[in-house]
Amino acid sequence: MEATVLPTQPTFMAQPLAPAPLTQLRRTLAADALKLRRTAALRLTLFSGALPVLLTFMIFFFKGYIILKAGGTPWPRFISTAWQTAGTLLLPLFVVLLTSLVVNIETKATAWKHLYAQPVGRGAVFCSKLLLLLTLNAAALLLFVGLLLGAGGLLGLLKPTLGFQTYAVPFEAVGWMLLRTYVATLGLLAVQYIVSLYWRSFVVPVGVGMGAVVATIALLSWEHVDKIPYAAPLGTAMSMRAAKGGVLEVAHELASHEWYSLAWCGGVLVVGYLLLYRRNAPN
Amino acid sequence: MNPDTNALLATHGIHFNFGKRPILHDVNLHVEAGSIYGFLGPNGAGKSTTMRLLLGLLRPASGSVHLFGHNLARHRVALLNRVGALIENPSLYDHLTGRENVEATRKLRGVAAHRTAEVLALVGLTDNAHRPAREYSLGMRQRLGLAIALLSDPDLLLLDEPTNGLDPNGIIEMRELLRRLRQEHGKTIVVSSHLINEIEKVATHVGVIQQGRLVFQGSLPDLQRLQTGRARLVLETEHADSCRNLLPRLLGGATVLAPGTLWLPWVSREHTAELAAALTAAGQPLYGLRLEQPSLEDTFLHLTEAHAELAQ
Repeated sequence: MEATVLPTQPTFMAQPLAPAPLTQLRRTLAADALKLRRTAALRLTLFSGALPVLLTFMIFFFKGYIILKAGGTPWPRFISTAWQTAGTLLLPLFVVLLTSLVVNIETKATAWKHLYAQPVGRGAVFCSKLLLLLTLNAAALLLFVGLLLGAGGLLGLLKPTLGFQTYAVPFEAVGWMLLRTYVATLGLLAVQYIVSLYWRSFVVPVGVGMGAVVATIALLSWEHVDKIPYAAPLGTAMSMRAAKGGVLEVAHELASHEWYSLAWCGGVLVVGYLLLYRRNAPN
Repeated sequence: MNPDTNALLATHGIHFNFGKRPILHDVNLHVEAGSIYGFLGPNGAGKSTTMRLLLGLLRPASGSVHLFGHNLARHRVALLNRVGALIENPSLYDHLTGRENVEATRKLRGVAAHRTAEVLALVGLTDNAHRPAREYSLGMRQRLGLAIALLSDPDLLLLDEPTNGLDPNGIIEMRELLRRLRQEHGKTIVVSSHLINEIEKVATHVGVIQQGRLVFQGSLPDLQRLQTGRARLVLETEHADSCRNLLPRLLGGATVLAPGTLWLPWVSREHTAELAAALTAAGQPLYGLRLEQPSLEDTFLHLTEAHAELAQ
């Protein structure tokens, strides 16, 4: 007896083939980067670092002769003043706003239904936006540091009496601060990312983030404050000291609140992804 | 492989609930390759929910969706590679230009760069491609959404109310475009609507959904045959009542509409001829005898209303 052979129809696939996971991620990233054009998220990244630098520049331009009357290198005082201005309130609020704005690009366009109907997995969508956020966050910090050092150089030109041009820039200490501050923002970035994705609104994550930042400031003297991700950037900014000998003292290792920030980041992303993965996408 | 080998798209016993509220009951769609399937139903009947299930945006409580003969739940990403969709209002990024909106999805799908200009030309938006999407009219947004759905040259197009917000000219253009896509490019298209008049001009097959149940599914001729079963004869004479009493066998099932007008279900041509002969033989004047076909709209209303009563 002959076996019945079904005619092969050209419209039917024998084996459905999906693009490789890395290809999906690369494509999603390319699209996400394009969608950033002319957005508030991008402007925020580019200009957020300028405010603390501008403030510090003005302070040192007009009152530098009082602050630096002890003489010696002006860099440690200058850098720590700017860093503490940025790290206490501005940095956590920047991360809150940035995550909410980036996720809101899709929410505002009611594009989640469109995105999930495209041939890219939910994992690619999740990772792509996360990578974008990590990059924007790093870019903002690097811009801040670049502007800060540039402002110091400018002070050296405009106010030679302050001595910015005669002393060396403490690059090593700045590098460590940069790394530790970045790590300190990761915990709250992850929490805010999941909150934004979960509620798919702009107001909820901003509200949650602002509330958490304010609550953290109220809780600063609590012995467990190092375990709150929203307190970590502040902890790092405060850990920097301009010591008497004109040295910028920065620990060359991660502090406990920075390890907690990393743990929050990893834990929240895994739990959040599992929570979001099986959810329906009605809008 | 699923047993429906000739169906490009098939659902098997789909049930779906929003919380505890049941939305879809046992929906079995069957869409043949190369057809334009009009998915009809009043607002709130479950059309959009069904469309979202077909794309894997929602997960059914039970049942399965098969595209191209494969289970969507298992091969979602691979299958979506060959599907283009426009779900309700197009998802447009207002801060980007028309062209950038197309580009965003083009990059996401890994489609060749020359397609952007092609699809923009296809929907007639080339001249406005440099303008931000926030300046677009409702009709232009709908066309841009369609351009994005067509980007990857998909074999299957799912369009949810694509004529929403279009003016009469736009509706005609959309119809022409769908027809061309099927005839010249061999696309299979599922298009949902709550307007039968819009569907009957373009669809080859029709599914009617009412309160989450599929109450009709078949070809357009099938639907037309369904309505011939509901055709009626209208008879005009002098005294309707006496006619009915004189010819109880032929006019027993007739209804008196007016003193001189009767109507009865249409049975056959022979029956009509016999009726005319019998009337004249009985000495009654025959002023008029005509066949009334209900419009597709009547049939659609009948289908949806009948089921609404049944459910109550």
